[in-house]
Amino acid sequence: MINRRFTDSGVEPPLAYVALAIGFIGLSFYLFHKTEFAQYIFVLSALALAGKFSEIRRTEFIKFCFGDKRWKKIRIAENLLIVFPFIIFLVIKLFFLSAIILFALAITLALMNFRASLNFTIPTPFSKQPFEFSTGFRNSFYLIAGAYTATIIAVVVGNFNLAIFSMMLVFAITLSYYTKPEHEYFVWSYSLNPRMFLIKKIKTATLFSSLLTLPIAIIIAIFFYQNIGVLLLFFLVGWAFLVCMIVSKYAAYPAELNIAQGFLIAISIWFPPLLIVLIPYFFFKSQNRLRSLLK
Amino acid sequence: MIEVRNLTKKYGTHEVLKNVNMQFDKGKVYGIVGENGAGKTTLFRCIAGLESFEGEINSDIQPLKNHLGLLLTEPFFFQKITGLEYIRLLCNARDTKIADIESRNIFELPLNQYASIYSTGMKKKLALTAILLQGNDYFILDEPFNGVDIHSNIIITEIIHKLRELNKIVIISSHIFSTLGETCDEIHLLQNGEFVKSVQKENFLELELEMKEITVGNKIEKLGLI
Repeated sequence: MINRRFTDSGVEPPLAYVALAIGFIGLSFYLFHKTEFAQYIFVLSALALAGKFSEIRRTEFIKFCFGDKRWKKIRIAENLLIVFPFIIFLVIKLFFLSAIILFALAITLALMNFRASLNFTIPTPFSKQPFEFSTGFRNSFYLIAGAYTATIIAVVVGNFNLAIFSMMLVFAITLSYYTKPEHEYFVWSYSLNPRMFLIKKIKTATLFSSLLTLPIAIIIAIFFYQNIGVLLLFFLVGWAFLVCMIVSKYAAYPAELNIAQGFLIAISIWFPPLLIVLIPYFFFKSQNRLRSLLK
Repeated sequence: MIEVRNLTKKYGTHEVLKNVNMQFDKGKVYGIVGENGAGKTTLFRCIAGLESFEGEINSDIQPLKNHLGLLLTEPFFFQKITGLEYIRLLCNARDTKIADIESRNIFELPLNQYASIYSTGMKKKLALTAILLQGNDYFILDEPFNGVDIHSNIIITEIIHKLRELNKIVIISSHIFSTLGETCDEIHLLQNGEFVKSVQKENFLELELEMKEITVGNKIEKLGLI
């Protein structure tokens, strides 16, 4: 399925794997260079990725196809395959304990099932303007709570970088709300032209993302007031990435973001001024893409 | 009024709709019948503007799509969005402000639960409620009676009567002839992408018998049931 996705995006799978490997190595070095908490972020990221494979319906399907004995082996193999690059990197960086913990947790996780949907409705402050933030918040509220906790830790230990990281993590979480294209019916339903539709989406996203990041920003402003300029800069960059994500999503619509777009966004992480060019470029492309559905 | 002129729709070389001409007038309910694959859903998608096509589709209120309530055969729902939020989403999309949605919940749906866990019938009723609250002038209802219980069936029939009274245009497709007979003013038979027969209310029975003859013939005897 992964190969098919690459092929659909117009990229040869071997080339995509090489690009992914280079991206992974580059990002890993960058992360370990940037923060002392890199090993924890690394372990959590690997487990979050492996956790995606523990969805109950998926596990039941594997059980149904391969029987009670083989499904455990398959799931363990899957998880180890996913966390393997992370373990290797931790070993290279001499974080042996983290590598062993990750190895053990990956195996444990393989034998657990998570329900993708709970039966009770998680309250959200975004209920008045569905859907991205209401569904996104319900899927990621625990990560946001984690970011808030990290902010408190940052204040306690007096670590400005960690505080900024927490805020950017919330922005990153909100970016993930815009990665998948919605059903055409939910674009077609709008009585707006493409330009107004995009502006409405951007307005909602910037307002709601601010609601989630403002508590962190206010705490940073109070406890690290000497760095308020840096805080504002990061806040603007967070907004810019969010806007870029929205317009790039609709620039590919109804398809998913393609590799080329992902590559451009990845470059802009290293060189954020690129967003000044990317946002208008994707905005105009989005308008063209949406013209068939929005008059 | 919705006017369809010389509508042709092709997927590759396969012609799904062949030079279709039809006029839908205000205050009338139209039934579209036909076998699976006859082109009903494609026709609806073309009218809605969800498909590109050759020909013309005009309406007295422009743009048509912004005044059209489209009930899909299988309405799509996001994960983790409640019934109430689904209605809000569709009303916001049309800039329609509804003060008290819960009091208009005539199908008594559990609006505070996630819509994705609703049954097929409940999903249909939720989608119908949403397009009704949008305040549309035109309605396309693709299989509105599919999967709904008998009580809701009666309510939907009454809703369609009310829409006619309010001078709306309603176009329905259904495989259940009795419900079409009860709700429609005209029924049009679509076959291989062409309208081959159109009948007024007084001749519905005749059409039903004719369709039964064409569709069933002596197929049941072939089963050899004893």
